[in-house]
Amino acid sequence: MPNGYNGKILHVDLSKGSWHVEEPEEKWYRTYMGGSNFISYYLLKNLKPGTDALSPENILIFACSVVTGAPLSGFNRYTIGAKSPLTGGFAETEAGGYWGPEFKFAGFDALVVRGRAAKPVYLWIKDGAVEIRDAAGLWGLDNWQTLERLEAELEDTRIRAVSIGPAGERLVRYACVQNDLEHYNGRTGMGAVMGSKNLKAVAVRGTQKLQMADPEKVKEIARWHNERIKTHPPNVGLSKFGTTGLVKGINDGGFLPTRNFKEGVFEGADKLAAPAYHETIFHSNSTCWACAVRCKRRVELAHEKYPLDKRFGGAEYESLAALGSMLAVDNLPAVARGNQICNLQGLDVVSTGAVIAFAMECFENGILTEMETGGRALRYGDADAMIWLIEQIASRSGLGDVLAEGVKRASEKIGRGAEKFAFHIKGQELAFHDGRGKTGMAMGFALSPTGADHIETPHDVAFQGEGVSKLYPMGLYDPVDPLKTDEAKMRFFFIGQKAWGINNVLNLCNFTSVPIHAMTFGRLVEAVQAVTGWDVSLCELVQATERSNVMARVFNNREGFTLKDDTLISRWFEEMPGGPLKGKRIDPEIFKDLVQLYYDMSGWDAQGRPTRGKLVELGLYWLLEN
Amino acid sequence: MDVEIRLFESLKKHQPPGGKVRLAAGSRVTDLLDALGISIDDVGVLMVNRADGRFDQPLRNGDVVTLIPPIGGG
Repeated sequence: MPNGYNGKILHVDLSKGSWHVEEPEEKWYRTYMGGSNFISYYLLKNLKPGTDALSPENILIFACSVVTGAPLSGFNRYTIGAKSPLTGGFAETEAGGYWGPEFKFAGFDALVVRGRAAKPVYLWIKDGAVEIRDAAGLWGLDNWQTLERLEAELEDTRIRAVSIGPAGERLVRYACVQNDLEHYNGRTGMGAVMGSKNLKAVAVRGTQKLQMADPEKVKEIARWHNERIKTHPPNVGLSKFGTTGLVKGINDGGFLPTRNFKEGVFEGADKLAAPAYHETIFHSNSTCWACAVRCKRRVELAHEKYPLDKRFGGAEYESLAALGSMLAVDNLPAVARGNQICNLQGLDVVSTGAVIAFAMECFENGILTEMETGGRALRYGDADAMIWLIEQIASRSGLGDVLAEGVKRASEKIGRGAEKFAFHIKGQELAFHDGRGKTGMAMGFALSPTGADHIETPHDVAFQGEGVSKLYPMGLYDPVDPLKTDEAKMRFFFIGQKAWGINNVLNLCNFTSVPIHAMTFGRLVEAVQAVTGWDVSLCELVQATERSNVMARVFNNREGFTLKDDTLISRWFEEMPGGPLKGKRIDPEIFKDLVQLYYDMSGWDAQGRPTRGKLVELGLYWLLEN
Repeated sequence: MDVEIRLFESLKKHQPPGGKVRLAAGSRVTDLLDALGISIDDVGVLMVNRADGRFDQPLRNGDVVTLIPPIGGG
C-alpha cells in the first residue's frame, strides 16, 4: 500500500451509468502529485479541443493530492477542474473544509466524471463502494436543503457532500460548488459543469486511515506547526478576524476596488471592516479539517430584512468587497445577506459582485435602463437592488438571464458600449485587489491560466523591506516595491508563482503554508517526505509546480488562447482618480514587454507557447505532439 | 536600547523621527507597538532582523523591526 495516497482514481461515466477504478503507478503520482496537475493531465489526455464546456463531452475532475488528509493544518484542500464555461479555457478551483480528506479516507485520490446523466443523479461513495443514485428529489433544492436531504436519505449525519444549488442547475456560467455550506470552490463555473452533467452532489464517507511513511514525524511537524500558528503574526490576525481584517489595510492603502474598479478607496469601508463585523454580526470561528488557524467566520443576526444564519460561512474579504465596496453598499447586514443568498443558490460571490457592479455602471451611464430592468433602478449604494439582482441571476429571470452569462458575454449581448464597463481577463471577472497597488498580483491576473485569479502569486505588499526574506529559500533576495512595473517585479512574480503553485499542486491552504504563513519551505519538504516516504526536495516540488503551469498553458493554447489574452483591464492602464494611489497607473506598453519577458523566463515562445525544450525538461514528452 | 523601525503602507504615518525608538531594557514587540501607537490588529507581517517575529518577542539593542499591515489576499 502506498504512503499518503490510495493509488486509485475513480472514473464515472454518467451517460453509461458505469464506473471503474484506475490504478496509476507510483511514478505517475510522484510526477504529478495532485490538484491542478491531475486536472491538466486528464483534460489534455482526454478532452477534444473545441469541446463545448457545458456539453456531456466535458470532463469534470475532483482532485486531492498525495498529502491530502495528513493531520497537518491546511492539508485538507481539494481542487475541481474542467474546461471552464466562463473562459473556455483551463479551470481549477480549490476549497478547504472536510470533503477532500473524507474522499481520501473513502479510498480514492481523484474522481473523473464524464458524460451526462439522463436525469438528475448524485454520487454516493463510501469506503470504496460507489453508487449513482437518483437525485430527482434534490433537483431544485438550495444547498442547505440538499445537504439535509442527503443526510436523511443516507441516514448518516457524518457524510461530507459537495453540491450545487439552483444556479448550477440553471447553468449560470459562474455557479460554484460548495461543501458543508461553509466552503466553496468558487471560481471558473464548476457548478455549471456539474449542472450540465445532471450531477447534483457527490456525498462521501470514509473510515479508512491514511497510511503515512513516518506518522511520528508527521505528528512532530504538526505540533511545531500548530504551536507556531498561535504566535506567527499573519496567522494571529487570521485567527482573530479571518480575512475581514484585510478590508481596513487595503482601503487605507488605496486599492480596495470600489464602484466597479473605478476607485480605490471606499468611504463606507469602516462599516464593513473587522471591528464593525465582529461587533455586529459575528457569531463564532469555524475551521477546516485538522486546521488550527480557524479563520472561517460564522455570522448570525435576527433582522427583518437581512436575517443571517450561522449555518453558513459568513462573508469573507472577497465577499465584503464584491457586494460592498464594488457596489458602494455599506450596509453590512445586507452584504452578509447577499453572501448568504449566493451560498444558498450556489453562485460565486466574486463574479456575482463584479457582474452586478457592471450592471450598475451600465445603468448609471444609460446603457441599461428601466426597460431592461423591468422598472427597477440599479444605482450604486442600493443594497436592495443588489439582493434583487442576485436572485434574478440565480433564477435566470429577466436581466438576470443575461447577467448569468458573465460580464464578457453579457456586455456583447447588451451592446451600446457596455464592453467599456465589462472588466474581465480571459472571460473571468476579477477578484478584488486593484492591480495599480499590487502590480505583481496584476501580473498574476494577466498570466493565470484560469483568467483573473488573485491567488496566482503571493501579494507584493508582504515582501517589502525585510519581508522579502520569506522568499530567500526560492532565491529572491531584493525587497519588492508593490507599485513598480519592471523586470525585478516580473522576477518576483515568476518566483512567487512557483511558491504558491506548490500549494495548488499539493492542495495546501495558503493561509497555513509558504511563503507568508506559519509553514516554512524546509519543514514543508520534511512533511511531504514524512507522509509519502519519498526523498522529495524543494526542487522537485517546484518542478511539479512548473509542470502544472505548463500543462494548463498547453491546454489553453490548444483552445485558441494567445498572448493577446495575457493582458489587464483598461481601467488599470488609467490613472487612479484619488486616494493614496492618486495618479498611479500601469503603463500598457511596459506591461506588454514584461509579458514577453515572462515568456522568455518560462521557456515559452513569443506567442506564449511552451517550447519543445521546456516540455522535455519537465518530462512532458507526451505533449510534444501538441 | 534603540530599535530601528521600518514601516510600510498605511503604517508609514507612525514612522518615528530618525527611524528609531528608544525602549526600556526587556521590552517586547508589543511594547514597541504601544510606543508607536500601532494596534496589534493592524500588523500583518512582522519581521525582526530578517526573520519572522512574534508579538511577545523580547527585543535587543540594534534590532531592526519591519511592520506591514494585513493587505494580502486569498
